Amino acid sequence: MSIAATITKDNKSFLARNQSWMIQSAAIIAPFIVFGIFLTFYEVNPIELYWSMVQTTFGNLYGFGEVLLKATPFILTGLAAALPAKAGLVNVGGEGQLAIGALFATWFAVFYLDTMPAMIGIPIMLLAGACGGAVWAGLVAVLKVKGKLNETITSVLLNYVAVFIVGFFVHGMLKDPNSFNWPFSPEIANTLRLPIINNTRLHVGFMIAIVLAIIVWFVLSKTRLGFKIRVLGSNRLAAERAGFQINKMYFWVLIAAGALAGIAGMIEIAGIEGRLRASVGTNFGYLGFLAAMMAWNHPLRLMASAFLLGMISVAGNKLEIFSGLPSSSVNILMALVLFFILGSGKLVKK
Amino acid sequence: MIADILTGAIRSGTSVMIASQGELISERAGVINLGTEGSMLCGALGGFAVTVWTGNPWIGTLAGGICGLLISLIHAFLVLSCGANQLATGLTIMFFGMGVTAFFGKNFVSQQIVGFNPVPIPYLSDIPFIGKILFNHDPLTYLSLLLVPVLWYVIFRTRLGVILRAAGEREEVLFASGINPKLVRYLAVLAGGFLAGIGGAQLSVAYTHSWVENMVAGRGVVAVALVIFASWKPLKAMIGAYLFGAAQALQLTVQQQGLAISPYFLFMVPYVLTLVALLIVERRKQSQTPEALGKVLAGSS
Repeated sequence: MSIAATITKDNKSFLARNQSWMIQSAAIIAPFIVFGIFLTFYEVNPIELYWSMVQTTFGNLYGFGEVLLKATPFILTGLAAALPAKAGLVNVGGEGQLAIGALFATWFAVFYLDTMPAMIGIPIMLLAGACGGAVWAGLVAVLKVKGKLNETITSVLLNYVAVFIVGFFVHGMLKDPNSFNWPFSPEIANTLRLPIINNTRLHVGFMIAIVLAIIVWFVLSKTRLGFKIRVLGSNRLAAERAGFQINKMYFWVLIAAGALAGIAGMIEIAGIEGRLRASVGTNFGYLGFLAAMMAWNHPLRLMASAFLLGMISVAGNKLEIFSGLPSSSVNILMALVLFFILGSGKLVKK
Repeated sequence: MIADILTGAIRSGTSVMIASQGELISERAGVINLGTEGSMLCGALGGFAVTVWTGNPWIGTLAGGICGLLISLIHAFLVLSCGANQLATGLTIMFFGMGVTAFFGKNFVSQQIVGFNPVPIPYLSDIPFIGKILFNHDPLTYLSLLLVPVLWYVIFRTRLGVILRAAGEREEVLFASGINPKLVRYLAVLAGGFLAGIGGAQLSVAYTHSWVENMVAGRGVVAVALVIFASWKPLKAMIGAYLFGAAQALQLTVQQQGLAISPYFLFMVPYVLTLVALLIVERRKQSQTPEALGKVLAGSS
């Protein structure tokens, strides 16, 4: 009898797995339909837009590179949300952690690294970015562990503070003396710019993001530490009873998340911008959070969802050029995607 | 100068205050709504747009409230009917609010409105010092001052308040007395969204008389934080909101005085102050957290 019971149970879980796949796909497609209806009110043909989105992405190397370029920071800030999520934490501070990471990286690049060869300069700059993000996430971690403050609220509040800190520096100590009073930092040395792949604007930052995603996946799913993190996230009580040092784990998970977002900040500076502005990485943190949600906090699936968000971002620029709708209108599409995923979450779990 | 800061505290704190009272209702019923930021943004734009069209700030404010309510309906549906994570849903709504208002607000950026203006109350506003601080504000601010005692009375002295608090503490009790706790929570979240929308409208229609993209700038998040700081008590939430307003007023005053402090440090003060306030209060208030809310904040619901 027990065998029969096992078989029916297996059958059920097989069906449930297929069903959850279907619901997940539907949750991704439905928002595109809703947004399409919305677009038709503004006399934009959604099918044309979506088709051109696919064409730009897969039509040629340049377009593909553009999408990967957009997806890079989303992967990293997505990891900064996904890793803590596995430990049961909601880190929405990717935005601020990225900004402070970019600040640290630029500071080092401008003041200490401008004569360094690339082989030494770029890794140090990367480390500086990671430290910046880690420091900022460290604030959230200390407030969580010592002050018992909910990390969601503190990390969002600190995002606003981070933007003002970057603003303070680009208007003050980091301001380019030759900028005619524009608020941005001097340009970093050419040796510190990330190498670029031929015929595109794509830089090696993309590789860094992928490697880090694989490392996070490996640690989470193949190591003892990752197992402990997942236990903590799925059943805090069990983790307590098993004698885990919960506060210590919370602390270091948040530090690691901050470092990942900080690296995204460094990549933005060394790969694309070349100098620090107060607007560096605006919304990248929130979009990364979104990408992580879309991927159910799975580091490898995160690469796919970040890629999708990259496609939508590129389409946003297109939308602005061709139809005069503001590029921010794709933010609506992104929020719709997440609404559907959140709404279907319970169906999938069952 | 002190009178200036205190007047400014009320003037710029009112929007946060109204939103925090709304969030308080929602959290008392056990639902935390970070989408308050999105509701405020939509309230600010909706209120502004309708004021532009009708020329009547009262209708505009009402419209702002309704916009906020509609946005919070998304939160209520996803959280209460679909069982989505409250914090993640709230954040998405915040992001949605930014996108929607950036999109529809584009044409309103340079528009001008008459809006609400300060109405000094006769005789009372002539009292030295206090008169200037308390009795020279726009009509919405006077109304918001009435809101606090009314809300306190409803929550702690009426049957409705008991039902609201039961939804946040022990929903079984509501079940047993034949009331649907889900319905109570729905209504609480919608009431919260409505007030957040009014708060947003106060910002655009009464305080700045303009619409700027993302003008709420975290006030909704601050409102959520303040409710926790206030241990879910209306009067304390009001004090917290005016503290936030005072920090913002300080920034204007310092600039007018021409002191050599970077404005960026002053911009930070309200947010840092909110964090510090949370930190100080946190230690003493564990037991006061509505039980259903405690589960959300601990990540187990």
